Amino acid sequence: MSALETMVRMGELAVSSEPGHVLVSLGLGSCIGLGLIDRRMSIAGLAHIVLPESQGQAAKDNPRKFADVAVPEMLTALEELGARKVRLEAVLVGGASMFAVPSAGLEVGQRNEAAVRELLEAQRIPVVAAATGGSRGRTVRIDVASSAVTVREAGGKDEELLAGSGVLEVVA
Amino acid sequence: MTHYTELQLDALRELANIGSGTASTALSGMLGRSVDISVPKAQALPFAEAVEAAGDPETEITGIVLGITGDMEGTVLLLVPPADADAMCRMLGVEPDDEFALSALGEIGNIVGTSYINALAGMTGIEIEPTPPATATDFLGAIVESVLAGAAASSDVALMLDSNLVVEGDDCAISFLLVPDQGGVQLLLERLGLS
Repeated sequence: MSALETMVRMGELAVSSEPGHVLVSLGLGSCIGLGLIDRRMSIAGLAHIVLPESQGQAAKDNPRKFADVAVPEMLTALEELGARKVRLEAVLVGGASMFAVPSAGLEVGQRNEAAVRELLEAQRIPVVAAATGGSRGRTVRIDVASSAVTVREAGGKDEELLAGSGVLEVVA
Repeated sequence: MTHYTELQLDALRELANIGSGTASTALSGMLGRSVDISVPKAQALPFAEAVEAAGDPETEITGIVLGITGDMEGTVLLLVPPADADAMCRMLGVEPDDEFALSALGEIGNIVGTSYINALAGMTGIEIEPTPPATATDFLGAIVESVLAGAAASSDVALMLDSNLVVEGDDCAISFLLVPDQGGVQLLLERLGLS
């Protein structure tokens, strides 16, 4: 476990270009952890998106919980760090339906994923890996330096969702 | 940011106290054991902090969720450590790996949650009904955030009324969260004369 883990909690987003930084969202359920990565520059961002649309409530204290606010905000923040939109790759984690019986607000996972995919498509950002849907919660970690993304389900181990760069150099 | 005064939080805590008292009586009758309740907490927290207030996000936990429909919308969530869920199944004469274990847990949630909701309705004179229970065992964070997401559309603050029921002798505990949506909180406060 790295000492430099940045927790990205419900409705938060973080971007980083610091080697050694790891961006983490613990226990994603219906929320989407959206990672945007510029591999060449070793820049990454992670947004913990709660709901698909702000529906005019963007003026509230924390509009970043909405996909349609979080995506453009994260793009701006990444570009300020030197990332280029044309190089960005997206990873999606979460969007599960934790409870088998549909209850008010609990089918929001699928709507979150659909909204985020639509927003990415409009920006021409490819989704290169995803661990979404189903009924299990997930933890996501993005290693900023290598762009490696791991996902873990309850009771499981970290699984590689996106391979990191520079691993071969270390071996050689 | 939605602020609640200390007086309002005290009143909501008292509601939770009476609700969980009624729920503990129901649980006690069901399990045939005495059940203690802790003093409930009433917390109004930003969503980012609300999950952690419920516990370590990566702890594995069994969640039983009941929706509330009617005059007030919201969710009741019961959180039980898996070992405690197993113990409560055994008290009902169901082995934890039995195919009926999940429905036994759902039934515990149903009875405990419904008595809580009914007590709330009785005290405030509002008409509310529970939806059937759903059960999942997973990361605490995943379960709690999925419940909070329902309230996140209309508010930046989660109001969590948190009580603990402890079954005597076997050291099993149920933590109990009521998460009303934004309009629901206003309605409760109105009925208490504190809006």
